[in-house]
Amino acid sequence: MFSSVCSAAILGMEAVPVQVEADVSDGLPMFSMVGYVNSQVKETQDRVRTAFHNKKMGLPAKRITVNLAPGDVRKEGTGYDLPVALAILTALGRIPKRHLEGVMVVGELGLDGKIKGVWGVLPIVHKARGAGCHTCIVPKDNEAEGQLIEGIRVVGVDDLQRVVDLLAKGCLAQEGGRQSRLSFEHLETDLGGPDLSDIRGQEGAVRATLIAAAGMHDLLYIGSPGSGKSMLAQRIPGILPPLTREECLEITEIYSIAGLLTKEQPVISRRPFRSPHHTISPQALAGGGRTPRPGEITLAHRGVLFMDEFPEFSRRSLEILRQPLEERYIHISRVQGIYTFPADCMLVAAMNPCACGYYPDLDRCRCTPAQVRRYLSKISGPLLDRLDLCVETREPTYEQITGGSSPVSSAQIRERVMEVQKIQQERYAGKGIRSNSQLDGKDLEEYCPMTREARRWMERIYTGQRLSPRSYHRILKVSRTIADLEGEELITDVHIREAFGYRIVEQKYL
Amino acid sequence: MEEILQRISESQQGYPRRLRSLPDMPACLYVRGRLPKEEQLTIGMVGARSCSGYGRHVAWEYARVFSDHGVQVISGMALGIDGESHRGALQGPTPTFAVLGCGADVCYPKSNRDLYEKIPLNGGLISEYPPGAPPAGWHFPARNRIISGLSDALLVIEAKKKSGSLITVDCALEQGKTVFAVPGRVTDTLSEGCNGLISQGAVIALSPEMVLNELGMDTYSTKGSGKKKQIGLARDLDLVYSCVDFQPTDHETLIQKSGFPPGKVLSILTELQIMGLVEEIGKNHYIRS
Repeated sequence: MFSSVCSAAILGMEAVPVQVEADVSDGLPMFSMVGYVNSQVKETQDRVRTAFHNKKMGLPAKRITVNLAPGDVRKEGTGYDLPVALAILTALGRIPKRHLEGVMVVGELGLDGKIKGVWGVLPIVHKARGAGCHTCIVPKDNEAEGQLIEGIRVVGVDDLQRVVDLLAKGCLAQEGGRQSRLSFEHLETDLGGPDLSDIRGQEGAVRATLIAAAGMHDLLYIGSPGSGKSMLAQRIPGILPPLTREECLEITEIYSIAGLLTKEQPVISRRPFRSPHHTISPQALAGGGRTPRPGEITLAHRGVLFMDEFPEFSRRSLEILRQPLEERYIHISRVQGIYTFPADCMLVAAMNPCACGYYPDLDRCRCTPAQVRRYLSKISGPLLDRLDLCVETREPTYEQITGGSSPVSSAQIRERVMEVQKIQQERYAGKGIRSNSQLDGKDLEEYCPMTREARRWMERIYTGQRLSPRSYHRILKVSRTIADLEGEELITDVHIREAFGYRIVEQKYL
Repeated sequence: MEEILQRISESQQGYPRRLRSLPDMPACLYVRGRLPKEEQLTIGMVGARSCSGYGRHVAWEYARVFSDHGVQVISGMALGIDGESHRGALQGPTPTFAVLGCGADVCYPKSNRDLYEKIPLNGGLISEYPPGAPPAGWHFPARNRIISGLSDALLVIEAKKKSGSLITVDCALEQGKTVFAVPGRVTDTLSEGCNGLISQGAVIALSPEMVLNELGMDTYSTKGSGKKKQIGLARDLDLVYSCVDFQPTDHETLIQKSGFPPGKVLSILTELQIMGLVEEIGKNHYIRS
């Protein structure tokens, strides 16, 4: 007898419905699985058979064929165990077919018949709703995650026997009827995390950080070891506006696919802060694999991608960042097609001024001029052009550490960032631009009006300092954000001059 | 370029008289441009390659004054003090000469391309190594004896305790030349060499005029320094300018010292930079220029 159960495969950021078909017929006893399955999925048959055995639901000595359709989508992962088991039981007539109509099933089986968590439940449930299913059966561990999607019943189960009982009796509806613990409505965004008030001194760097966050500009910190580069960067997610519910869902979906959600933390409600080590491979950074999985740049979506020791990253890793930072998406091409992952993050980089870290303090720096130049030349080039602001961090003095100055809190700074981002949203409404950092070419002319004095200064700086057109645009964008921070419509000469101080310096040597 | 490179051997007329008297002088010299004039006062200027802004400033200024007084400046066209000395000398009317550690038709270091092109227009690039010789480590200490040999006096601007410049000083002393040294702060490692020389009896060079007087030359004031001086700066600008030093001063320190908000300090620093009073030598590190 033939049966079919609905499940799903994850391709890139999308779930694709997969029909798990089972046929039990007379013939030599055997169990075969077809339908472009990889070896992970082939193992399903052993788990299913043993689980049946241990649950005293022995399989009859018949010919069992399982097919995963469509046959041109490669199936990976362990989430097909439960749908295969249910398809076989339905084919054997132990579960009425109609009880599985409109039900999407996903889950991994243990040998004892327990159901274990899998990755990608959130996008699968999302897809199920889109595909018109009324119920999703997911592992208990992933229940909270699945219940974020409204308008569909999500039933968390932890035991094969129990699922079979529920389905045989057709009482799934009562099981999933109760309200989810984590309803979307009541999703609270988390503003915790390290606070800016821990920072002592660094007024200049904090100011640059505020500007960068307000205009979503990419930022580079330069400073000697231990001068607080990482400390500042870690506090950036905390000064960005709280996540909206849509953003939460979006990020949680990414983390679900990456398999980074846990039972304790089924929702990502804080802006991500990703800090990959500099030995990371280009694939791990951008996303990769035969069926691509999200990389660090996607995991930092709507948050901060912090790259410490920037010049130590391999050139290929750095180069791979260029396109996604520009487009806010990353496209990964494979034989089966092109996968697109979101990558809208703020890039924050940090580096020492030279290999030993103390240049230009010549009493401490032990590098030769050639070494300094070699160190910096590693990042010179097109990627540097992406970074709008660059600022020096400086270890605080003893007086500053022991408290003296009144530190500002993340909450205060966040208020200002939100004000400025609101100004930008209103200004760019309907233009497909979200922040000043995305301005280019024509838009710059339109949205960056300058006073006459500012124009004069811009000209003096441009010709006097031999700026490239690109650095001119960068200075203009940053000036726009500074003007927004000061609440001014026109960019004045003071804003231009301050922005010039944040440009990337092609360091000069002795 | 080949045809303008001349070879002058010891037996020839043009071989510098200053070198003839010395025991370990090269048998021949390769010259691009010309050799220093025999009758004109010549000063060798040496110092650290990785020098401070202070060192650069001093080298430039001293060399310019020398050149204005008709004194030929000889150095090694290296990074740092050497290059800056040539640059200062090129501001004045007198030619300057570089003794290289590679063939005279090789530009080393490459970043001194400007000097490589400009020096031979009036002065000359001199080498004891044949055309095309690559820069080798041992060439450089060896060429130092030529720098001191061609000079009437040697001026050390900035040197660490164990500096290559001190080799040149040894050569100069063996050849019986006067050694001048520019003093620095006792706390600066880059001044240890010079201060040490002074304590050992080198002549202290408090100003370029002092060096010239010591060498028996009359001095006169030369036209302004060529770089702008602070004249009637606005109050805020003046306050920030007064906090900037000849040693790199960073943005954070300037915020602390001036008491202005960070944005304002940066804005003022840019203004000073455009006026040519301040230079940014590293990210947010400023020196007076």
